Amino acid sequence: MGQHGEISGSLEKTVDECEKKLLSAIRPNFVFRVFDIAFGENGVEVCGSSLVLKGNDIRNHLEGCSRAVLMCATLGADTDRLIRTAEITDISSAFVMDALASAAIEDVCRLADEEIKKQLPDCFFTWRFSPGYGDFPIEIQKDFLETLNAPKRIGLCTGENNILIPRKSVTAVAGISENPVPKKRRGCASCNMAESCAFRKRGDHCGF
Amino acid sequence: MDFKELLKQNAVFLDGAMGTMLQNAGLEAGAPPELLNLEKPELIESIHRKYIDAGSQIVYANTFGANRYKLKNHSVEEIIGAGIKIAKKACDGKALAALDIGPIGQLLEPSGTLTFEEAYDIFREQIIAGREADVIVFETMTDLYELKAAVLAAKENSDKPIICTMTFEENYRTFTGCCVSSMALLLNGLGVDAMGINCSLGPKQLAPVCEELLKWTDIPVVLKPNAGLPDPVTGEYDITPEEFAEQMKLAAAHGVKIFGGCCGTTPEYIAALKKAVDGAVCEKKNAKKQAAVCTPSKTVVINQPRIIGERINPTGKKLFKEALRNNDIGYILNQAIEQIHAGADILDVNVGLPEIDEKEMMIRAVKEIQSVTDVPLQIDSTIPEVLEAALRVYNGKPIVNSVNGEEKSLETVLPLVKKYGAAVVGLTLDQNGIPPKAEQRFAIAERILNRALEYGIPKEDVFIDCLTLTASAEQEAVMETLKALNRVKNELGLKTVLGVSNISFGLPNRPMINQNFLTMALTYGLDLPIINPNVDAMTGAVRAYKLLTNIDKNSVEFIAAYNDAAPAKPAAKKEESRSLGYAVENGLKEESANATAALLKDHEPMEIVNDVLIPALDKAGAQFEKGTIFLPQLILTAGAAQSAFAVIREKMMSENSSPVSKGKIVLATVKGDIHDIGKNIVKVLLENYGYTVIDLGKDVPCEEVVKAAVEHKVKLVGLSALMTTTLKSMEDTIKLLRESGADCKVVVGGAVLTPEYAEKIGADFYAKDAKETCDIAKSVVG
Repeated sequence: MGQHGEISGSLEKTVDECEKKLLSAIRPNFVFRVFDIAFGENGVEVCGSSLVLKGNDIRNHLEGCSRAVLMCATLGADTDRLIRTAEITDISSAFVMDALASAAIEDVCRLADEEIKKQLPDCFFTWRFSPGYGDFPIEIQKDFLETLNAPKRIGLCTGENNILIPRKSVTAVAGISENPVPKKRRGCASCNMAESCAFRKRGDHCGF
Repeated sequence: MDFKELLKQNAVFLDGAMGTMLQNAGLEAGAPPELLNLEKPELIESIHRKYIDAGSQIVYANTFGANRYKLKNHSVEEIIGAGIKIAKKACDGKALAALDIGPIGQLLEPSGTLTFEEAYDIFREQIIAGREADVIVFETMTDLYELKAAVLAAKENSDKPIICTMTFEENYRTFTGCCVSSMALLLNGLGVDAMGINCSLGPKQLAPVCEELLKWTDIPVVLKPNAGLPDPVTGEYDITPEEFAEQMKLAAAHGVKIFGGCCGTTPEYIAALKKAVDGAVCEKKNAKKQAAVCTPSKTVVINQPRIIGERINPTGKKLFKEALRNNDIGYILNQAIEQIHAGADILDVNVGLPEIDEKEMMIRAVKEIQSVTDVPLQIDSTIPEVLEAALRVYNGKPIVNSVNGEEKSLETVLPLVKKYGAAVVGLTLDQNGIPPKAEQRFAIAERILNRALEYGIPKEDVFIDCLTLTASAEQEAVMETLKALNRVKNELGLKTVLGVSNISFGLPNRPMINQNFLTMALTYGLDLPIINPNVDAMTGAVRAYKLLTNIDKNSVEFIAAYNDAAPAKPAAKKEESRSLGYAVENGLKEESANATAALLKDHEPMEIVNDVLIPALDKAGAQFEKGTIFLPQLILTAGAAQSAFAVIREKMMSENSSPVSKGKIVLATVKGDIHDIGKNIVKVLLENYGYTVIDLGKDVPCEEVVKAAVEHKVKLVGLSALMTTTLKSMEDTIKLLRESGADCKVVVGGAVLTPEYAEKIGADFYAKDAKETCDIAKSVVG
């Protein structure tokens, strides 16, 4: 929410109320599937599907990996409705719920990570890299979702502008290797928020 | 053989999965299977044949995803045409070939950007391409709105039988929140030939969902489940053909008539299914005949008094009329939400005003109200075109308000009610006006019922309004209304509606009369009181009635409504004593409104605005810039100020002086973008500073922005975009604005924008946050 330091009493109360409402609306859901990958001329090929991951950044990211997990997660359509309704009656609650929902979808992704790790106990993973990061084209979104059968399995879709719907949703790729993968620092250069990043503005870094 | 003949049999058998068979044959994940209709027709045909040999009487052609949005390099006509041809060849007269249509793959409004009308058009293209099929199937649907567009497209472009199945989760809901009863109510009304459930789970998990569906419909019910649940690692389904068949017998015992398999099922499953189920099908019990209306996620059964909120109606309301003229949908939405919080079960929607386009406004109002609420609506207009437009875009089963006993009204309104499967309010008046006597009104009610039945509208969907006359003018008529109501209820067995507030017109202490009349009407058998639910005496009368007549068992609803409210009152008094400035600065909404109301007793409205509210906002703005407060507090302050302004506006309107506007500003989130929370924050701040905001909403086409800018002669247009992919729309909008010659400045904002980019696409200003937008507005508009 752009807040730093202590929060005031009335804001804290709003956050608590919003959290309660949000928790009753979210229907967290995720799907993932592990694929072998091959480094081809046009990009990283996802074997057993027609998907090719294009761009230098995703190639670098998956370097040294023999497989990749494609995952997507969503909080479901009710969350969108809740925030939409609040935008009419109480914009401050809407703002707080929007921020809380962003945090919640990250939590769902972490749950998915744990599940994936549980199923592949002896493997090592890179962090999640999403379409739209760096030069990994966001136009892949639709085929990405189809490959995971996401519209049917968790009700996650996209439209002409590659925006994920429901809004609080994530698609991502993580590399899988049998050997430890060198920790890659994400860095600001590959981040599409670099220009408007609040951390950077105050000379800080998000830590990735 | 046709579908109707098939239905005469004890059970009808569909096929199993196509996708599973294709994947077994080596189809890649994510690849469109429909292209195989051209590439490997013999493979598709052999799969159909295997199912027919296993006992399938209807096979689904390989056309599930063959729509304009999903197919890239092929035409819908080509792919579907080929798919149907293959299926018909395989059927060879032994089975029926179905045009199979799945979800478009893009979410519809209000969650997504695909409009209802576009969805209709996509389906229409598929229906026409599949005209040679014997049956039309819509399956795996999760969005009732999308299904409605599909069924309308089929009904209006084909005369083939229609089968609809939706996909439910174990909580009896689809992903978009649609419940079983709402699906049944909509599809009963639209008149499909079979409905049911497919995919997502196995027969064991879906049997109870089916059981629920059977309670709501007398149309044949379909069950086409998966082969159990998939293993998360291997993707293999977990039950054998024999287990599948055994579990399906459960559904057969409940009265399911049409059986098939979805993901993971193969011809072996269908063979086993046919062997086990044929002969095990039981006679279906008739569904309960009951009056009910719905939205996708909520069904309201009229088995007890249900409140219809009357506030969305401009008659006699200056603020409402003003909002309609300014296209201010936010005002209407607030009215909707407020009434629901107060206890409304259904909302009446009337947006008729001579100087506006009522049809356009009605469509917008219905869509927007349904995007933020889930209570069913009563569509209220005197113009048939407006009724039809609203019935078309309404998501669920609404009430039409109204038809009357005059033949002209009956023959225009009733066909619409039938076509869209709505319920209807019949007014007991005709060309001769409102008859004075109860028996005359009863006779009109009977006439309306009979005409409705002739049109095929079921009896339970006809509600009668015996019409309230004012007691001050026609005192002897009061009891006539109630007598007529009672006879309609008991002798015709129909649900009754009544607008209550008219009774007290011209008399003192109106709330007292209204409340007593309401209670009298309820005891005479009123089911649907049309009232202002925000008046607690009225809502409370309904709640008390329900308690006293043993409808509200153990007084649960009554206690829930009043127990929490009691201690809040003394606290509110204490809040008033604090200053308005304090309340606004600390973001206290209720306190701000209360303090404003208190101040208005001895201060001029504009004095409060200029001496208290604006300085408080300025102070918060300055602190925000300095970084001593942050965005959450700034928004809380704005929200609190907003509630104070609402009180002031109401006061000024009641005194016939309209608030002074500093000028109009158009705001829009650009075409393709649906993230509009940032724009909405800007809107609240601008309104606080006294600007009239023409809010065009999200996903707004360039032309609409230009139209609004020209029409309202604004000096400033604000555009917002959150995604890099929609910045292009922003650029196009600015270009079009410049070309139109509109004399306005453009301010842009949004997470991915930078000052440099804003300049590049031709904007006059870049605003980094809502506060800066206000500063820019001050410099441009004044």
